[in-house]
Amino acid sequence: MKPINKILVFALLAVAFTACKKSFLDRPSNSQISSNNFYKSTTDLRLATASLYGGSHWFAFHSQSMLTLGDILSGNATFPWNGDIVQLYTRTITPQNAIISNGWTGLYNVIAQCNTVISAIKKADPSVSTADKNAAIAEARFIRAIAYYHLAVYWGAVPIIEDNAKLLSDPLLNRNVVSDVYKFVANDLTYAAQNLPKTDQTGRVTTWSAQGMLGKVYLTMSGVDKSGSRDQALLDSAKKYAGNVCKNSGLALFSNYYNLFKPQFNDSPESLFALQWQAGTGYANGNAWQTYSPSGDINPGKNGAWIPFSPNYELYQLYSEKDSIRLKASMFLTGVHYPELNAAGGGFTATMVAMKKHIIGNEKDNNAPTMDFWSSPEHNSVLRLADVYLIYAEAILGNDASTSNGEALTYFNAVRERAGVDHVTSLDFNTILKERRVELVFEGQYWIDLVRYSYYNPQGAVNNLNNQKRGTFIYDKATKTAKRDTTFVAPALPATISSFTLPIPASEMTADPKLAQPPVPYY
Amino acid sequence: MDKNLQKRVKYQISLIIAGIFLYISAHAQTVSITGKITSADDGAPIPGVSIKIKGTGLGTISSIDGSYSIAAEPGKVLVFNFLGYAPQEITVKQAGAINVRLNSTSSKLNEVVVVGYAKARRKDVTGSISSISGTDLRQTQPTTFDQALQGKVAGVVVQQVSGQPGGGVSIQIRGVSSISGTNSPLYVIDGIIIPPVGDPGKGGNPLNAINPNEIASIDVLKDASATAIYGSQATNGVIVITTKRGKAGPPQITYDFYSGYQAIAKRLPTMNLQDHAGFINARGQVWGFDIRPEFVNPKYLGTGTDWQAELFRKAPMNNHNLTVSGGDDRTQYLLSASYFNQEGIAIGSNFTRASVRLNLDNKTTNWLKIGTSLQLARVSENQNSTASGVIGSALNLTPDIPVKNLDGSWGGISNTNGWVLSTPNPVAMAEIIKNLRKRKQIFGNLYAEIQFTRDLSLRNEVSGNFDFNTEDNFTPTYTFGKTVNNTNYGSTSMGQNEYTVIRNFLTYNHNFSRYYVNLLAGHESQVGSFQNAYAYRSNFPSNNVQAINSGDGTTARNGGDYGSGTAQESYFGRINVSWDDKYLVTANLRADGSSNFFHTNRWVNTYSGAFAWKINNEAFLKGVKSINELKLRLGYGVTNNQGIPGNTFVTQLQTIANGLSGIAQWQNNLANEDVTWEKTDYYNAGLDGAFFNGRLSFSLDVYDRETSGLLLKIPLPLYSGTTAGWSPGSMQAPYINIGKVRNRGFDFRVSGTNISSKNFTWKTDVTVSRNVNTVLNLGPGGADASLAQTSYTINQVVEKTVVGRSIGEFYGYVFDGVFATANDFKTHALPADQAGNTYPISPSGGGIWYGDRMFKDLNGDGIIDTKDQTFLGSPIPKFQFGINNSFTYKNFDLNFFLSGSYGNKVFNEQSIRQTNSQNNTAYFKKVLEYARVELIDPAGSASDIDNVHVTNPGTTVVGLRNDNTNDNNRSNSLFIENGSFLRCKNITLGYRLPESVLSKIHVSNFRIYGTVTNAFLITKYSGMDPEIGSWNPLQAGWDNGYYPQPRVFTIGANITFSK
Repeated sequence: MKPINKILVFALLAVAFTACKKSFLDRPSNSQISSNNFYKSTTDLRLATASLYGGSHWFAFHSQSMLTLGDILSGNATFPWNGDIVQLYTRTITPQNAIISNGWTGLYNVIAQCNTVISAIKKADPSVSTADKNAAIAEARFIRAIAYYHLAVYWGAVPIIEDNAKLLSDPLLNRNVVSDVYKFVANDLTYAAQNLPKTDQTGRVTTWSAQGMLGKVYLTMSGVDKSGSRDQALLDSAKKYAGNVCKNSGLALFSNYYNLFKPQFNDSPESLFALQWQAGTGYANGNAWQTYSPSGDINPGKNGAWIPFSPNYELYQLYSEKDSIRLKASMFLTGVHYPELNAAGGGFTATMVAMKKHIIGNEKDNNAPTMDFWSSPEHNSVLRLADVYLIYAEAILGNDASTSNGEALTYFNAVRERAGVDHVTSLDFNTILKERRVELVFEGQYWIDLVRYSYYNPQGAVNNLNNQKRGTFIYDKATKTAKRDTTFVAPALPATISSFTLPIPASEMTADPKLAQPPVPYY
Repeated sequence: MDKNLQKRVKYQISLIIAGIFLYISAHAQTVSITGKITSADDGAPIPGVSIKIKGTGLGTISSIDGSYSIAAEPGKVLVFNFLGYAPQEITVKQAGAINVRLNSTSSKLNEVVVVGYAKARRKDVTGSISSISGTDLRQTQPTTFDQALQGKVAGVVVQQVSGQPGGGVSIQIRGVSSISGTNSPLYVIDGIIIPPVGDPGKGGNPLNAINPNEIASIDVLKDASATAIYGSQATNGVIVITTKRGKAGPPQITYDFYSGYQAIAKRLPTMNLQDHAGFINARGQVWGFDIRPEFVNPKYLGTGTDWQAELFRKAPMNNHNLTVSGGDDRTQYLLSASYFNQEGIAIGSNFTRASVRLNLDNKTTNWLKIGTSLQLARVSENQNSTASGVIGSALNLTPDIPVKNLDGSWGGISNTNGWVLSTPNPVAMAEIIKNLRKRKQIFGNLYAEIQFTRDLSLRNEVSGNFDFNTEDNFTPTYTFGKTVNNTNYGSTSMGQNEYTVIRNFLTYNHNFSRYYVNLLAGHESQVGSFQNAYAYRSNFPSNNVQAINSGDGTTARNGGDYGSGTAQESYFGRINVSWDDKYLVTANLRADGSSNFFHTNRWVNTYSGAFAWKINNEAFLKGVKSINELKLRLGYGVTNNQGIPGNTFVTQLQTIANGLSGIAQWQNNLANEDVTWEKTDYYNAGLDGAFFNGRLSFSLDVYDRETSGLLLKIPLPLYSGTTAGWSPGSMQAPYINIGKVRNRGFDFRVSGTNISSKNFTWKTDVTVSRNVNTVLNLGPGGADASLAQTSYTINQVVEKTVVGRSIGEFYGYVFDGVFATANDFKTHALPADQAGNTYPISPSGGGIWYGDRMFKDLNGDGIIDTKDQTFLGSPIPKFQFGINNSFTYKNFDLNFFLSGSYGNKVFNEQSIRQTNSQNNTAYFKKVLEYARVELIDPAGSASDIDNVHVTNPGTTVVGLRNDNTNDNNRSNSLFIENGSFLRCKNITLGYRLPESVLSKIHVSNFRIYGTVTNAFLITKYSGMDPEIGSWNPLQAGWDNGYYPQPRVFTIGANITFSK
């Protein structure tokens, strides 16, 4: 080998054995930011909490379970062609039911996002002010409380998870007693009420959202483990928080009940907490409620009208003749014309009786070109002011048989007045329950009301279910009459007090045998 | 001297030399014989054959191109001898050519195998390495090489994941050691590391760009002592592919061709229209609704549409391959071009590959050698049949739906009553939807080898794999009855991936009289990068205008990403010492750093050692001629695995859009900063033997590998809000190191030449693999800890992994007949709700009644609940084996290859849908055997338990009820079937044209053959095919409307042209 070659070769050798730079092994993702270095300013925290208001983590619960559990389980409607839905309606729910596992999974998905955001915010850059951090944590805790509240209502005792990272070392949890789950919810909401602002960007929760929800939670808790009457201290708390929202928030009911469910009036001042859906997010990321539409003709892409709920005859009968606004906003009646649905095609004349609320038409009706039937832009409310008004009235009624308390009547009648129906002069439990059923129908609320009732008056709640006159109906527009139709109604099993607790999904019981053990205290 | 003179002088000198030879010949009264020695297996020349004149000490050796020349007296006998081949004797008659074809008895003795950054003779190997030659590989006419490994290599389990053309296979070497880290081996092609498989689940296979025709050999490195030098990517074994290279000698031109067709091997027994109508009528009577007027008289209906017959077709395939190779002492080349085209047996699928390869080696100076391996490939795949799920649709769609209506429009479901799923017309979907993937791949390496001294050399290598791919999708508007798509939409995406490796290593060899030493030391860095963009639009003005910019701009969605993937840096070294050619010792050490872990966990050491004893070279065996080889190998090593995606140690934020912000930040995964390397302790002992001049050889390995700190994307309970798979809105589960898994087993290969005579040979190869997988520990959950996999068909856990059993065993209830008599209700427990209350015995909703399935009350508590579930078998086979027989008679050759699997179970998920009378789908014929519920006294009460019975109590099919309180389709033993099988993978009959014909047409080799692949299958499994591959060991053995392997008939020819 010539000397020059030798030099060349050893130069090569030197290059060959030089180690890479230390940063060679740092390969962070370019498209995804990591939570370790992201939270540097208040703006960053806002982007983190913004995600909690809508997105795929809400999908499983929202698309599959929110309305089916809230309104079909409680007897407001049925749908005969889906085995899982039929099980809810006939009270023959097995732990393999997909609606059950979607509800469970979906709510815990929301909790996981909230928990992870909370831990990240706690580690955020010290330059972010404590007040801003607390406000962001309050938003996450509010939304976490919403999820745990639904879990407690549907399943009773459930495991409480505050830090998902702890599951890495301790994955198998016991259930926690239901009273502790509610206590956890109340703690979250109390923190939220104290740390959230009075006003914020449209769509974000405020202290009024937290206080309204706190009223509802205390009202629910007042009956837990009670028999016959409710806990007065908790009723007073419910009254305090709900009343504060009614009287001091400066918020008022939205003028028009029908328009309340149109996306152009999303996040009206009446809305205390609404999911912030957006069009065009694709499958599994959006509001999929257009799949409940009765006709592809009015759907975006003219498709996806799969599961039109059939409202119950008994429900229909609750609407007085004057209650036409709420009726039209809630149910399609055969022959009735809806000019705003498929407006370009001349509107829509209903061909069947079906759920109307949330069916908002196609992409042109909503001026949302990217809308498809997986992504409706409607921001559906989880808590709205009318609900809090009725909570307030119920809290005032408390353990009394009836009341003619002025404040109770004022707020109760405000709801009725907006609907165009007559005022009442006295309230009892059934008046309130019926009003809630009509006002909040197809918003996933009636089952929550019945469970709240079952806590302190099991027999009353069981009777309520067993005495329901179920069955769909046929509507004749010419005579404006409805006829009960029981063709497709499978007989339901008689309700018992255990009907108010859903089974835990079968796969979850198999994965965690500890769930079969009696629940343990959390506090 | 002018040039002419120069020529003349040269000429004269050669004449003189020739004269001297002539003189010598004449003196011995001999004649001159020349000829060429080739292998009867593949016609390749054999260098180094000893040619001796019997009875004399005279002889010669064949040269590199197999040619020889010798002078012998007529009447003398020439003896041709070469290790591993049957000796041959030919009597000299006259001067001229004697071409000889030697029959191999064993190729194993002379094999050269790859041991990682070097080659070695098999005799000198200390680790566990199996090899397969390119010729053996091509016997089954594989579309991709990985398909051909099945049954050929002991210890390697190969299962087809999709029978789609070019579809992927899962390969496991010696069992499942990692649960969600990858279990697939490392693939190294001519030194180029093929990056870890990204998303094989869609049927795309990154290995399908490699043309099996170009492969010279494949070496499978199994134990730690063999793999440790490859470091952390090699913990699951290494598959080293060596492509053919040019050899010095006259150019060889080879043309290989085959053509054939494929057909589906088995169809599932679905009902025809008459049966279907009769069944719907019977069900309608029980339900009291869903009566179909059109079915009133089934007699008058035809047989309806057989959707499987409509979807599956006889599909052609063609392959052409042209290779030119040759070279001189300095430069050798091989240039190969090929074209392969295969239609899928399901319409809407095909695969085309065109590739060019250049392998070039050049000895530039006496101290420098350079070369390259370079492949360009273009693969185009129509994956529509998989993407659109047409096989599932074809099985689900009922026979009353026509493929096309009378007016020529597509048929579809017209009656959606009865919750009929809007199953689309699969034939139409396959025809009208576009799902086209194209891939252009360049991969190759460039090396320079510098010889400093005779003993010391340095090799520098740069290799890269560059992949450019596009995917075009378009779904037109369509109307199939009531299944309507009113909006057409399309998407297009483009991506490119790069993976580069720079590697430098020094090799030192020296022979110190009785010691031989080989040292290796090197450094390697690897890095990947990717870039992609995606565009979507809907509302195209016409279904015929499918370019993305024709769609409605307001509906546009787009996405894209770029970045660097995993990076790895390594230092490695190896020492081989051989003493007296009896004792061999190998030691490996390697340090790897990976970007997949948090910086505190980044670096890890891998080491191994092995010892081999060549017993046959000991004095006491030296004299035993019949033993050619007897070698004992012992090895131990610690290897490490990093097979998880990057950046799982931090929470990744993903941008999502909602009503509050278009850039809200969503938490994508639950992070685990502590995640670190998975570690395997690996013990191996092996014995190799060859006897009777290699006519009988065997290799036996036993091993024990214990993997701890398993990398696992842990499937936590649902309440964790995480998922290890895909579940909308759940965070990706964290990767953690958990538990311990042991794989123990043996691999055994025996090869024998049963008969070897002049005209007839019969050879047999048998491989047997056994692996026992046991989970030793599952981490913090203790005895309750389990990893469960849920089937979405039944929304229930079907597979469960627990300590003390193998990974992913089937789990569920034990089926025990149907409720048929009143006594059954007394002797069998009833299912209970979660409060423990049994459901009532009643024919109305919410009750258990005749015709419902009974399950065994395993814990004897009188009710059926989750505690009555048990383990129902494992998807992991107890044994896998391959048996290959090859025969040659004169110019004919016959090959017969069987492979099989014993002792594994398959979850027949597809059958659940189609044996469920409550579904509205096409049914298997078996559903007609539904439990017939009858009244004993027809006038009596239908709800009186003593007045009802089932007339066919032996059935497994549930009775007709509109209620499923019993949850009849709960995970149970009925769905878990025996998956053992024996498959005839291949029968090939070939004929080689005799030399006498060949010499006239200037062809040195011409073989024609016919092959049947997947000729027959013996199994008890009721589905299409029990061979169900999976990349996810927690979900192994699930048959869910899987693309079946076709039966293939081909004819082909191999032609080698002489100069």
